[in-house]
Amino acid sequence: MPLFEGLGSGGEKTAVVIDLGAAYTKCGFAGETGPRFIIPSEIQKPGQQQSIKVVQYNINTEELYSNLKEFIHTLYFRHLLVNPRDRRVLIIESILCPSHFRETLTKVFFKQFEVPSVLFAPSHLLSIMSLGINSGLVMDCGYTETLVLPVYECIPILSAWEALPLGGKAIHKELDGLLVEQCTVDSDSSTGQSLPTVIGSIPEEVVEDIKVRTCFVSDLQRGLKIQEAKFNLEGTAERPTPPPDVDYPLDGEKILHIKGPIRDSVMEMLFEQDNEEKSVATLVLDTLVKCPIDTRKVLSENLVIIGGTAMLPGFLHRLLAEIRFLVDKPKYRDALATKSFRLHSPPAKPNCTAWLGGAIFGALQDILGSRSVSRDYYNQTGRIPDWCCLSSPPPESVYDAGKTPPPLMKRAFSTEK
Amino acid sequence: MASLLQPDRVLYLVHGEKKIRSPLSTLYFCRYCSELRSLECVSHEVDSHYCPSCLENMPSAEAKLKKNRKRICNQLNENFRCANCFDCPCCMHTLSTRATNIPAPLPDDPSKTAMKKAYYLACGFCRWTSRDVGMADKSVASGGWQEPDNPHTQRINKLIEYYQQLAQREKLERDRKKLARRRPYMPLAFSEKYGLGTRLQRQRPGAPITSLAGLSLKEGEDQKEINIEPAQALDEVEPLPEDCYTRPINLPEVTSLRQRLLQPDFQPAGASQLHPKHKHLLIKRSLRCRKCEHNLSKPEFNPTSIKFKIQLVAVSYIPEVRIMSIPNLRFQKECQVLLTLTNPVENITHVTLVGCEEGDPEDINSTAKVMVPTKELVLAGKDAAAEYDELAEPQDFQDDPDVVAFRKSNKIGFFIKVVPQREEDGDVTVSFKIRHDFRNLAAPIRPSEEGDAPAEAIWLTHHVELSLGPIIA
Repeated sequence: MPLFEGLGSGGEKTAVVIDLGAAYTKCGFAGETGPRFIIPSEIQKPGQQQSIKVVQYNINTEELYSNLKEFIHTLYFRHLLVNPRDRRVLIIESILCPSHFRETLTKVFFKQFEVPSVLFAPSHLLSIMSLGINSGLVMDCGYTETLVLPVYECIPILSAWEALPLGGKAIHKELDGLLVEQCTVDSDSSTGQSLPTVIGSIPEEVVEDIKVRTCFVSDLQRGLKIQEAKFNLEGTAERPTPPPDVDYPLDGEKILHIKGPIRDSVMEMLFEQDNEEKSVATLVLDTLVKCPIDTRKVLSENLVIIGGTAMLPGFLHRLLAEIRFLVDKPKYRDALATKSFRLHSPPAKPNCTAWLGGAIFGALQDILGSRSVSRDYYNQTGRIPDWCCLSSPPPESVYDAGKTPPPLMKRAFSTEK
Repeated sequence: MASLLQPDRVLYLVHGEKKIRSPLSTLYFCRYCSELRSLECVSHEVDSHYCPSCLENMPSAEAKLKKNRKRICNQLNENFRCANCFDCPCCMHTLSTRATNIPAPLPDDPSKTAMKKAYYLACGFCRWTSRDVGMADKSVASGGWQEPDNPHTQRINKLIEYYQQLAQREKLERDRKKLARRRPYMPLAFSEKYGLGTRLQRQRPGAPITSLAGLSLKEGEDQKEINIEPAQALDEVEPLPEDCYTRPINLPEVTSLRQRLLQPDFQPAGASQLHPKHKHLLIKRSLRCRKCEHNLSKPEFNPTSIKFKIQLVAVSYIPEVRIMSIPNLRFQKECQVLLTLTNPVENITHVTLVGCEEGDPEDINSTAKVMVPTKELVLAGKDAAAEYDELAEPQDFQDDPDVVAFRKSNKIGFFIKVVPQREEDGDVTVSFKIRHDFRNLAAPIRPSEEGDAPAEAIWLTHHVELSLGPIIA
């Protein structure tokens, strides 16, 4: 239940807190215990069946502007049901968000919706706030990527960030490939048909639903055996007994038979080490190696895992086991002295933890006011400062039509003028 | 009349931050600025909330506070959810309350049983009932159903209080520093060197936020110190249950992602934990011109009424051009297109059509040359009673039969000549400017003492684009 004291007590109205993720957007009001809505970050254009993703970094400014405008419009007038002009906005973002996207988003808020002020806050830092601790190693397992950032005494150690593009998107792609290859579909006229012949391709929502309802992450021993069996060329390694098959209904007429082995093996891609020996678990250890020695013990005992992909059943247990397994390997054994790893459980689900941190921060009205970028400041300077370009404006987007790409830097020893 | 079903064939140009072309039926007209406005150049505001199923108007929370209503009602309105209606957690349809008769012992005489009414919620679409999740039947028809509480609420409230206390300290320190900083004898270099030493000085807006950890609660400064227990990290995480690997899944029992996300606080994986939520409200929107801050559209408060208190739509002020018939269009051959012009106001309107000149910056889409009638067209006023009044004298306008095809009350049909210039696939597009007189019936700024015609006519020009269809060879 929301705090009742905000309205009518003479203070400012509660701020709006928005976590704009690549797959889902969490929105709500500051001071509350959970977001009011978790909606997919997509807009539907009239006449088109396919919905358009809002968070895209590779499209030109105009299209991005109109997509964002429409999305924020539905956010305010369908879900939040408040006037944009009255309330400050706190946007939770990833630190790797391109400046161009931020600028466009700010322009939408200030020019179109005329909000009083806007504040961009990093998601990793806010998750620490939701726990009441000062330091922690935060891993955000999201849709496009998994990003690890350590925070020590409330300051992000920016140089120690690590990321891998292993997130929901990669899982969906892998699962889609496996389904097309191995599974059969029964429709009312025929049985046992291969998938591409019955329906062209599975929409991503259906793949996501299959992932959420049927797949899980096996524990360490089982997972290692599955990986061995997959990469074993002689065929001597034996795969553990797969879980039972599932009959999944597709639009009411067709039934997709999902093979058992897919259910537990698709998640192994998060933990299989690729050629560079990187997996989701090694990210944590690599980050620790990059951090200053004095901070490592505190950080390793305060792991915080956020993000939607971390909600897969069995993920946290497996992650912790993998980290403990890997820390004994020669690569890390000498580099890291700390061997104890502990995991926090925040007072919210992992996909809402960053939002909760933002809601707690947004409830501090004076602080929010003093650190936000106000509309007047934006009108004067015309841009919003980003951590990577505080005073100089960011380079122009290369995707805008008619703009020349930025000149390539000349080498120091070149004789060209 | 095909144009009734294809309104986007005739587009009017709106001058705003961006030049927008859209049909007249979607535009608004600001009478005070005397300009067309589209949905993108007006500011939208929330006017009132209402529940879509019980159609109850929810006044804003401030109004409720003044009237001293019940606390539960207030909280639900803060949440923008209806107090009476529920949504099915499985299919999002509206739940209906059903009643059954159950035998229950009478309060006076425990041995006798009488039929009492018990109420439960049921979905008419997917057949979900409140008994499926274990909610007991209630004895009152409405008001008995509660949503479960978030178990973490207390911890979160404590965290907020703690951080608010830190925030107050930061504010005090900042104010103190501001007052203490005025020391004229402090050399500039000194303050530069230590300028950003403490995190509290000069919080540059937009710089990455630093948290409030640098402040510690100084002892003895405050009587009431709220100490927070930092969260304890766990050594072990619960593993997956063993039967997960061997048990076959009952797919209807597992919730889908969409069902889970409807309840952000709990996100249950099993369908037996899906509780119904109160229905979310919808809003009525009012529009406001950005330049003059006047309302362009303001709906009625009553949810059952579709009327507007203020409705400044463009079709009731600007004459509308519609396409009536198009002959076969041939490349480089002159064709005559029949258009109609309708007068929405009650007085006589004079309309002049002007073709676009060469190099007109607004004329970017036209692919054909157009010859518009040069004479001024006169449109009769809209007379609502005309169709019932048989004895009305037909008004006599001398119409040139080459230009005006027919005239019917406030509408005329006229010809334009089109010569398609490009032989390509795609529609032939022509554009011209329409100039008409407009009498502003808004309250005059200066009260006129002469008492003559209260409204002066001003001439407005609009750029119109018509899409006439493909060339038929």
